Amino acid sequence: MHGEYKMPGGKLVVIDLDLHNGHLANVQLSGDFFLEPDSALHTINVVLTGQPADADEASLVTTLHAALSSEVMMYGVSPEAIAVAVRRAVRPGSDA
Amino acid sequence: MMRTDWRDHDWQLIHTAPQSPTLHMALDDVLTHEVGAGRRAPTLRIWEWATPAVVIGRFQSLRNEVDAEAVQRHGIQVVRRISGGGAMFIEPGNTITYSIYAPLSLITGMSFQEAYAFMDTWVIEALGELGIQAWYQPLNDITSAGGKIAGAAQAHRGGAVLHHVTMAYDIDTTKMLDVLRIGREKLSDKGTTSAAKRVDPLRSQTGLPREAVIEKMIDTFRRLHQLHDDVLQPGELARAETLAREKFSSPAWLADVV
Repeated sequence: MHGEYKMPGGKLVVIDLDLHNGHLANVQLSGDFFLEPDSALHTINVVLTGQPADADEASLVTTLHAALSSEVMMYGVSPEAIAVAVRRAVRPGSDA
Repeated sequence: MMRTDWRDHDWQLIHTAPQSPTLHMALDDVLTHEVGAGRRAPTLRIWEWATPAVVIGRFQSLRNEVDAEAVQRHGIQVVRRISGGGAMFIEPGNTITYSIYAPLSLITGMSFQEAYAFMDTWVIEALGELGIQAWYQPLNDITSAGGKIAGAAQAHRGGAVLHHVTMAYDIDTTKMLDVLRIGREKLSDKGTTSAAKRVDPLRSQTGLPREAVIEKMIDTFRRLHQLHDDVLQPGELARAETLAREKFSSPAWLADVV
């Protein structure tokens, strides 16, 4: 399953994932954004994997904030934008 | 960390014969580390491309960005760079690409947005001297009234910042759209429906040969920041060749984000 979100004034945020027993599986974040350090990409994928498929944006954002250290720098991407892309992947055709 | 200025550094210029796409990726990795470790003075490197390439960003999905069949048909190599940002379609002679390797002190205290614009202030000035009124378009584009001219990307590694830019000198838009998958979502807030409209290359804007544009850019950098001619050290080249072979040519790195 595939979801894309162009963050306003930001970059393209893409989520590919599968659903497994009502949870997110094989989550892959990608896009033309900037992330320092680059290992944060893997951290985000791991944190999202296993989240309930019906988790709403707010709870996904909270989860991402909790998992990412203050050292992580994002440009053109944000926990909020990632959450929108996840919701779009899970519910194709929805606006959010 | 104390902020430094351009003139606090002894800037070096590297401009060599054409090199392979994987060696360019590796040289960015090696030279950023060398500057971060203090073994190399801050450096401007102008790239010459030996072969066509699609260069994808560190976090881009290979499958989503590149048409695998089309790149094979056109004989184009796909490589992944160490910085984020978007895919670039490169043909020798069609782009002007450069890297700046600087200590992080040069951009200390700046936001990302400020740091991108700051690192390319000299280019905006050079373009102005060539008669092109260009400006920085956040997050990471150099643009003009006619359209986008260039895209920049930065990466921080071990005390240094890598800032590299690919400028469109000339472009085969049909081929670009053949090999890159440019989705509708990406263009949703750009105000255009056609990716082709987004690029305004330097050739048509200046009427100058590519070499003359590069010469002008080097002159401007030299005048503003001072610049000494340098070469790659044998150890730097040897390590880059190893990395090009073992990391940047490997399927694992290319498909790190499938």
